[in-house]
Amino acid sequence: MESARHVFRVLFLLLVVVVIFSVGRTFLVPKSYGAYGPYRFDNVAEQAAIRPPQHGGSASCGACHAERLKAVAAGAHRRVGCEVCHAPLARHVQDGARIAAMPVDRSFTLCARCHRRIEGRPAAFPQIVLAQHQGGVEGTACIDCHAPHSPKL
Amino acid sequence: MPEISGYAFPNDVHVHWSLMIVMYPYITGFVAGAFIVTALYHLFGKKEFEPVARLALATSFCFMAIATFPLNLHLGHAERAFNVVVTPHFSSAMAGFGLLYSGYFVILLLEVWFVYRREIIETARRSRGVKRVFYAALALGTYDTSPEALEIDHRAVKLLSAFGLPAACMLHGYVGFIFGGIKANPWWSTPLMPVIFLLSAAVSGIALLVLLYQVTAKLGRRPIERETVQAMARWLWFFLILTVTLELLEIVLLAYENSDAWHIISQLLTTRLEFSFISVQMIGGSLVPFILLAIVVTMNAYLHDRVRNTLASVASLLLLVQVFSMRWNVVIGGQLLSKSFRGLRSGYQPSLFGREGVIVAIALFVLPFVLLWVFDRVLPIEPAAAPSDPRHEPAAEPARRTA
Repeated sequence: MESARHVFRVLFLLLVVVVIFSVGRTFLVPKSYGAYGPYRFDNVAEQAAIRPPQHGGSASCGACHAERLKAVAAGAHRRVGCEVCHAPLARHVQDGARIAAMPVDRSFTLCARCHRRIEGRPAAFPQIVLAQHQGGVEGTACIDCHAPHSPKL
Repeated sequence: MPEISGYAFPNDVHVHWSLMIVMYPYITGFVAGAFIVTALYHLFGKKEFEPVARLALATSFCFMAIATFPLNLHLGHAERAFNVVVTPHFSSAMAGFGLLYSGYFVILLLEVWFVYRREIIETARRSRGVKRVFYAALALGTYDTSPEALEIDHRAVKLLSAFGLPAACMLHGYVGFIFGGIKANPWWSTPLMPVIFLLSAAVSGIALLVLLYQVTAKLGRRPIERETVQAMARWLWFFLILTVTLELLEIVLLAYENSDAWHIISQLLTTRLEFSFISVQMIGGSLVPFILLAIVVTMNAYLHDRVRNTLASVASLLLLVQVFSMRWNVVIGGQLLSKSFRGLRSGYQPSLFGREGVIVAIALFVLPFVLLWVFDRVLPIEPAAAPSDPRHEPAAEPARRTA
């Protein structure tokens, strides 16, 4: 037994680690962990609190841009919300006051997100093959020819 | 613009599990693979592995130390990583990681300690000041190096290897399980996945040690033991055959069944993964090393030592690439299938810079070797002269034994 003293020391050390771990764990595991599953339930409310809504919906845009909204509502993009192409409302307006100009993405990639030809899209949906459309339009702005708020072509 | 082919869902075109998720099984693979080599010596008494047993243990330890880094880099919030250890549960394969990782790490730490105990004590006895305090603390204050105590160490190492081998297999098998358990993806969802991961881990571990052993021997001006290279080449060949058989079996079965998944997987393999699967994984990474190792194994008696070492090294280098491409093809390949199973998403190209970029991946691969160097400074990998070490006895036939 004398020659196995180091083994007992290791086992004792392991025991100490296990005890420290078990005690430490009670401090480390968040209180609401496991309330409804293996996650910290309080996090849901916390995230909701620190992330105020960024989008306001098209109606909120209409409060100032009624004419624009009317034009969009009459065209082919009537089901596309303003903030789908523009930035979220919170980047433009906060507490009812304009804080910055609305960013406008004029790149073709924005339009291509919906209108690039993909077999997965319904056949009747307007789609283009970028390399073939008007002899290749990749890199040019679609909105040079198409009106984004009421596209007709 | 992302390139999409076939009937792919338009809102689902990106690969989210990045290069870091490729690095994760690659690095854990070395942990398990290197441990298998140690176990071959400590547990199965394969004497020819003695010169690499300690190197393998140290390699396993150093790769284990950074095994979580790729995941942390991918997820961000490294400060939360400890949560997976304190809140283990069984409803998610990933959350079982806490149990497996900590369990295996304890076994590995203990094994390193028992293997190095005699040398820790001897260093403590030799040194003065802070160094002495450090090594005395490492020795846990007992300086017993009697033959009985050393015999107990020997038995403890054997016992720990006996627990460590299944633990290492589970640690890596579960990485495969994470993919194998995703039933929505036919390229992943197969019970073969944990086995394939484990066997390819053995391949990568042994291949790395073939290289590391020869490099460290050259750097330390030590002879390269002929039997060790032969034995490692033999085992490498064996694990390579098993791995590739299973990798092919999975595909051949899909093709023979001509299942609905095969239509898209055959496209995946011949278009997006044509280079990384067919050229790298199967031809350059499997067929070529298979032939090279076959020469080493079957024509052993006719080979000059230099030729054997070179063949084994080239094969090992190719196998390190093979295992990486296998991880790549599984992780990235699986994500290129659109959930429609009728089309393929755009291919994935890792960025060069950034948290999940190529440079970080290279740094991650280099880091364990830096740790290995530090490990060697603290606990010398090459054992100091010990009476039981056959290499320090007057060599009977040095010309036969050494290269």
